[in-house]
Amino acid sequence: MAKDTERLYGERLKRYVTALRNGKPDKVPIRPFVAEFTAKYAGYNCQQVAHDYNLAFEAACKCAADFDWDAVVANMVYVWTGLTEAIGTNYYAVPGIHVPAGTGFQYREPSQEKAFMRPDEYDALIEDPTGFLFNVWLPRVSNDVVPAGEPVTFRNNLSFLKGGMAMMQYFTAFGPQVQRLRTECGTPGAIAGILKAPLDIIADKMRGYLGLVDDLMEQPEKVLAACEALMPHLLHVALSGADPQKNAPIAIWMHRGCVPFVMQKHFDTIFWPTLKPIIEEIWARGHQTLFYAEGKWGAHLDAFAELPDQSIIYHCDQDDIFQVHKKLHHKFAISGGVPNYLLGVGTPDEVRACCKKIIDGVAKDGGYIMDASAIVQNDAKIENVKAMTDFTREYGVY
Amino acid sequence: MTENKIVRKPGVCIPWEEKLKELPPIKGDAELVKKVWEDTDALGYIYIWHCLLSF
Repeated sequence: MAKDTERLYGERLKRYVTALRNGKPDKVPIRPFVAEFTAKYAGYNCQQVAHDYNLAFEAACKCAADFDWDAVVANMVYVWTGLTEAIGTNYYAVPGIHVPAGTGFQYREPSQEKAFMRPDEYDALIEDPTGFLFNVWLPRVSNDVVPAGEPVTFRNNLSFLKGGMAMMQYFTAFGPQVQRLRTECGTPGAIAGILKAPLDIIADKMRGYLGLVDDLMEQPEKVLAACEALMPHLLHVALSGADPQKNAPIAIWMHRGCVPFVMQKHFDTIFWPTLKPIIEEIWARGHQTLFYAEGKWGAHLDAFAELPDQSIIYHCDQDDIFQVHKKLHHKFAISGGVPNYLLGVGTPDEVRACCKKIIDGVAKDGGYIMDASAIVQNDAKIENVKAMTDFTREYGVY
Repeated sequence: MTENKIVRKPGVCIPWEEKLKELPPIKGDAELVKKVWEDTDALGYIYIWHCLLSF
């Protein structure tokens, strides 16, 4: 049995990695980014998998054991809200606390007036990004951490102590979870390491989207300098979590750096010039980057095509996947394209028809990995995820 | 005030060069002290950057 699982692991890894490298494996690999769906399938609610990562690990393993998937994320319900509560993080709506137990965790962006970074603080961020995060940013995103210079408190101390120990505990638990997926389910890990674009991180966690677009109009040179200051740190963090075997790609979660969230000129002069060198350096070190292109990035496909062959995998959310294939297939593998609404409200026949269309139009020459458009949450019907899996396995044979 | 002038490279919160100034002359293996300082210092760096990026 163990030998069978190991053989299965080897077959799946080869299939997945071949497609990641834009090659043609024996079958179309299946790698759904299933988050709260795992809870639904395993009989848990959103609170349970968000607040107890052991239950999230159980749910991920149950899905990996029952579905013929070639790679999975060890825990796609990535934010352990037990950790964020220990830190005192104030921007999450936690299932079972701030939102109903059956609703996935939510990120709550503050109003522009209460942004975690003020418009006149760019110089401080640029001068010392790590110091800025500790001294300015963290006290604003945590209800327990006090600003630098203010009297220390019991809650402040506990935020660092509990937060640090809990983060270590959580990250350390991933090793055994990945091993368990291998030995019990024969399933490789889909990604390793995290990256975000400098401009995205300023929008997401510092200035907020509205603050960022104001700054792009009023002080673009400061935004550019801040992005440049963040670059070496984001590269460092990405590489620190990368797969030593160089099989699984580093994932970049792409948010609001595209048209129409920003103007084309800001993509051309700030977003892309401060992301492209990171991707090139990651590739120079032998790692691919999975562009998880949330939303629509179709206006920027020509820019992405400037990157070295095979250096990225383009994950298609709401773009026209056939257009993406035309523009990028000669250089990169593509994944995704099955609309989440279809998995949520469609029928298995409709899902199968969609998968057939994608396989016929995009996967014919290899370099395609089956997945939903976006992360699969608990609105997806189990029978539809089964239909996507089983149809692809049967029809997606080269 | 002096802390603001520290140049923190990726992976570093308190550079070894700064810590070294606070220590008496090292009597034993200085490289070992430096390595362990940098390894544990990096944990602080990972903590804050993952607070930003991952959580």
